[in-house]
Amino acid sequence: MRILLLALTVFSLSAHAKLTVGTTTQDVEAVVKAVGGDEVNTFAVAKGTQDPHQIEAKPSFMVKFRDADLIVSMGLELETAWLVPLLQGSRNTKIAAGTPGNLELGPSLDPIEVAKGAVSRAEGDVHPSGNPHFQLDPIRLGKSALLIADRMGDLDPSHKDLFHANAEKFQKHMEEKTKQWQTRLNKAGVKEFVSYHKTFSYFAERFGIKNTLYLEPKPGIPPTASHIIQVIEDMKARKVKAVLIENFFDDSVRGKLEKEVPGVKVAKVAVYVGGEPSIKTNEQLIEGIVSTLEKMSK
Amino acid sequence: MTLPYVFLASSGALIMRLFHVLLVFAGFAIQAHAQTSSLTSPNVSANGLFLYRNSNFAKEDQSKERNGIDLQETELQVYADVDPYTRFNLMLSIHPDYEVDGTTHRVKETWAVEPEEAYAETNQVPMTTIRIGQFKAAFGKHNLLHTHAYPFVDAPLANSALLGEEGLADVGVSAAFLIPVNWYSEVTGQYLRGEGDNTEFNSATPGDAVGLAHWKNLWDLTDDLTMEVGASYAQGNNSLGGTTSLTGGDLTFKWRPANGGKRHSAILAGEYIGRRLDQPGTTTERGEGWNSWGQYQFAERWAALARYDHLQASGANATVNTNALMNGDTDKYSAGLKFLATEFSSYTLEYDYAYGTPSLTGDKAEHKIYLQANFTIGAHPAHSY
Repeated sequence: MRILLLALTVFSLSAHAKLTVGTTTQDVEAVVKAVGGDEVNTFAVAKGTQDPHQIEAKPSFMVKFRDADLIVSMGLELETAWLVPLLQGSRNTKIAAGTPGNLELGPSLDPIEVAKGAVSRAEGDVHPSGNPHFQLDPIRLGKSALLIADRMGDLDPSHKDLFHANAEKFQKHMEEKTKQWQTRLNKAGVKEFVSYHKTFSYFAERFGIKNTLYLEPKPGIPPTASHIIQVIEDMKARKVKAVLIENFFDDSVRGKLEKEVPGVKVAKVAVYVGGEPSIKTNEQLIEGIVSTLEKMSK
Repeated sequence: MTLPYVFLASSGALIMRLFHVLLVFAGFAIQAHAQTSSLTSPNVSANGLFLYRNSNFAKEDQSKERNGIDLQETELQVYADVDPYTRFNLMLSIHPDYEVDGTTHRVKETWAVEPEEAYAETNQVPMTTIRIGQFKAAFGKHNLLHTHAYPFVDAPLANSALLGEEGLADVGVSAAFLIPVNWYSEVTGQYLRGEGDNTEFNSATPGDAVGLAHWKNLWDLTDDLTMEVGASYAQGNNSLGGTTSLTGGDLTFKWRPANGGKRHSAILAGEYIGRRLDQPGTTTERGEGWNSWGQYQFAERWAALARYDHLQASGANATVNTNALMNGDTDKYSAGLKFLATEFSSYTLEYDYAYGTPSLTGDKAEHKIYLQANFTIGAHPAHSY
């Protein structure tokens, strides 16, 4: 009888155990925390100071994946190289691709820059299914919260209403912040900026700022002298004065840009949550970029 | 060596057939990358290793290794989920083999196409990965690497001398269990057929097999630093009617800082392999070797490497064992410089100095320079950490 009671107790505890949600980036983890609150345990693989294209599939993450109920990724081939070995190495059948325990956000968030026709690596490290860097678009982050709430609600129906209420609150807050950021950026008057990689495409599209000049000649290929000369000529011709360098990339071209482009301002910025110790939420991340652009316009 | 298909290089038509096979797979690979894996097209990738070699040993007419430029190896890999329960992986190796003609003493080049790995493994077994087919045995750390993933151009002396020129690989079944502890701890048990290229286990008795156990542990010492410790043991009957046992141990530290890890990283590793080969009627052959190596990435696309390698053997008797080791010690020192243009292409310049195993003319000191180019196309799976 005691054994039966003990078994029932254990079953009861496990039935009400918190969901453990693993995410590929700290940005997605921040959304999961906003949706799940105290009812979920979370962990992230890539730190905000790391390039998420090139994370090593450390076996220690397989141990964390082994114990996870849900894995949420940004998707669109951003994490494929290291996420697949982590999923397989975890030997956790609950989180295999195509199961309820595996959620890829990107394809459901109206991706941009989807490749038209055949693609080749001669074009660099391209993402045929679309640009995966939606973490700088507050509206898509709001939508991602709803997707996460739906999936966590399926896995933990007892907290479904809470997850949805939190997601809607998060989405509404992001919509309000978007309006405020838009007003501030309009006032700052930044029309165009240069970046190292196509990290800001969603941000630029959302706030109506042009971002089509990149320091890398092709995605994933470090800057070459001839390409930087061309970028400098384009900046002069288009009177572009702002350069944002994602803070895990090399900024050794800064000196040349400052020397060759009159009045240029170059800033290294965090582009993922956790990219700076003080950036712990999605709002803080986007606020940091908006503030930087405001300062550059002065 | 098992050669399902052997092409004589002297036949132009056969070379063209090989070239056509490569073209078909390469085209398939590019298409597969564009579409990613689908119901009708699995993930396909190809890798080419091109090598320039210059050694004072290879200048001798009868050396099997040739100086000059060579196609070291091409690998074609196809993999996909079979269904919700199983995934399948096929890797074909295409490479030249050089044999010394016993009559003319001339070196002949032949081409081999062989399945380096061809196995199915489970998708849906909790905590465990079960594998069946031909695969690289889970003995130590280096033995699991494909040639294009070697840190240096050559395998360590102990791997090529004690596990076979192409490593320990065989047909069998494998079960890898993830132990439920809070660090990565995996125990692998394998049952191998004990035939094929691995002469140390090539028993003539039908039903003789090889048992292998491997224990791998990895800890995050910090967010930036990991330590991996592995132990291996294998035992089976050999072609001489005795028993062969292998013991191995490996230790690896990897450092890649969360801040600046695109430009700086380091690896420090060491591996030991010991082999005891019983030869009924005479003394037991004992061979053992170890290597320690380091790699430091000093820029986004550049890394420097260095390795010390040692092999020693005793009790070897060529009159009873045609694959006997050479008694004595060999030491080897390697230094290399690697340029990684992208994650799909890299170039390695390497210098090796070895002293011990003599050449055909009795010279014991070998100086060797390599320049290797490594290219990958298609949907190549990530290499293990």
